[in-house]
Amino acid sequence: MTAVAAGRHRGVGGRLFASPSVRLVGKRLLMAVPITLGVSILTFWVLNLIPGNAAQQLLGADATPEQIRAMELQLGLDKPAPLRYLDWLGGAVTGDLGRSLVSGQSVAGQLGERLAVTGELVAMAFVVSLLLAVPVALLAAYHPNRFFDRLSMFVSVTGLSVANYVLALVLVLVFAVRFAVFPAIGFVPLSESVGGNLHSLVLPSAAIGIPMFCLYTRFLRGDLVDQMQGQDYVVTAQAKGVGPWQVLLRHAFRNSSFGLITVVGLNLSTLIGATVIIEQIFALPGLGQLMLQAINTRDMAVVQACVVVFAVVAVLANLLTDLLYAVLDPRIRYGSR
Amino acid sequence: MAVVEAPPVPAADADEAAPRARTWTRGLGVAVPAALLALVAGACFLAPLVLPVPSPTGGNILEAGLPTGSPGHLLGTDPNGNDILSRILYGGQTSLIVAVTVNLLGLAVGGTLGALSGYVGGAADTVIMRLLDVLIAFPSLVLTLAVAQSLGPSLTNTILALGFFSVPAFARISRAATLSLREQPFMAAARLCGTKGWRVLLRHIAPNIAPQLTTFGMLGMGVVIVIEGALSFLGLGIPAPAPSWGNMISQGQASLSATPMLVLWPSLILFVTVLAFNLLGESLRTRWSVR
Repeated sequence: MTAVAAGRHRGVGGRLFASPSVRLVGKRLLMAVPITLGVSILTFWVLNLIPGNAAQQLLGADATPEQIRAMELQLGLDKPAPLRYLDWLGGAVTGDLGRSLVSGQSVAGQLGERLAVTGELVAMAFVVSLLLAVPVALLAAYHPNRFFDRLSMFVSVTGLSVANYVLALVLVLVFAVRFAVFPAIGFVPLSESVGGNLHSLVLPSAAIGIPMFCLYTRFLRGDLVDQMQGQDYVVTAQAKGVGPWQVLLRHAFRNSSFGLITVVGLNLSTLIGATVIIEQIFALPGLGQLMLQAINTRDMAVVQACVVVFAVVAVLANLLTDLLYAVLDPRIRYGSR
Repeated sequence: MAVVEAPPVPAADADEAAPRARTWTRGLGVAVPAALLALVAGACFLAPLVLPVPSPTGGNILEAGLPTGSPGHLLGTDPNGNDILSRILYGGQTSLIVAVTVNLLGLAVGGTLGALSGYVGGAADTVIMRLLDVLIAFPSLVLTLAVAQSLGPSLTNTILALGFFSVPAFARISRAATLSLREQPFMAAARLCGTKGWRVLLRHIAPNIAPQLTTFGMLGMGVVIVIEGALSFLGLGIPAPAPSWGNMISQGQASLSATPMLVLWPSLILFVTVLAFNLLGESLRTRWSVR
């Protein structure tokens, strides 16, 4: 009552701010800012750990001290590290991520297309693995310890123990070398052909998605079985005559889905990180491939930008899961006041 | 009446038999993966000492590319003439050393930080956890790549780079476990007795959070082995010609269609080792009922 009354006096802005969901969104957004800043500082610090500096590495081992000095001045490396970080940050917030030390191109320009490829790969792997995991987990939890349940658990524990690069190579061996169904490497842009694009992403997204599928299935099945066996609300529902599928879907699954969202959120950064190695194996022109190339050519500006973009995407993805959690679960939404 | 009186006898029997059966199966859940790991570790560390295993590097180019089952080279040789079995065994030494060291590092540093953070609470807790949030926000492979690149590829640097994401993960688990202990009566009792802070941490908190940390460590062993493999696969981990499962897979990738066994043998042993660690972690989790 008091909150509503206060809201009325504070006008539209006040009323909006009194809404628990809006306040939660605001709080989480505010928390994401220092984390993102911390991530960029850490990246900067880590990349500046190297003995010697970028100028020396660019010019090679036989450069004279004068040449190195000149290059340092040109790159602005004579300034102390905190100042250089602030320079970089000032540019970054206005969308200027500097120039590639190797090609001289604008880094921000290079990132755009690359991000789209990586984004498509992650989205495909994520959506398919989640869409497959939910029905499999439900079927497994419907009859715990029966054949299908045992099979799904066996598959998911096995799948979780396969490194994604091994999985990728095995997929290539089977589906590209033995049966030439999918291409082993290469990428067809979406603008060229939609079918070709999806076709070229099947194996890479399977290599990323299969371990995720296993993880989601195992978690969801375990949680559903826990809910079905121990929770009072399940007993209540069963007692009033709700059918077994209804109890599983409408009652247990709704509660388990919150846990699933947490697991999904915690593993999003693993999912995003996996693209680096998978893009390398399948020669996909994504962000991870750009980062590895930059690492090999010691192109610090590009490495820095890539690492920060990866981290920011991971932070945003985590933020999104937090918010989704709040939107779906009224207990969180109202408990946050 | 007879119906009511009859059941107790078989019920008591069943009650006794059920836990025994369960313990037996549970014991198996720990014993089988543990035996598998002992086998892998024994083969990697002891076999080269006892058996005439050829050197993993500096192979004879005349013996390059021998198939599986060749005399003197059980799993054949790679394009440089090195014995594959020997490379797998020596590579396994590296993988296991890295995995154990990184997890011990995570346990010691992260476990202590997390327990301190959870026990002390207040501003210290907030600062430590926010700093660790930054590390957790990073995709671990990306961060490890950046660190490995900065420091240069070597065994020590691989361990340091992997430690960067192992520490915050352990800290998070340890803090959560400590927080759930704070309200326990024995903690209040310890406080009332005037027990010193470090003693509470060492004698009361540490033994109680050990199951969670051990379980997590087992799963962490698998994760570290996989990521170390990924680093070496990308040329930023163990530098060639020294063998590592990751760089063997990477070298084999070049001739995947012609000689798939170059990739499949190290992949198989990697899979078996990680699977064993995961199964062991799962069994310990069930045994200690850790969530």
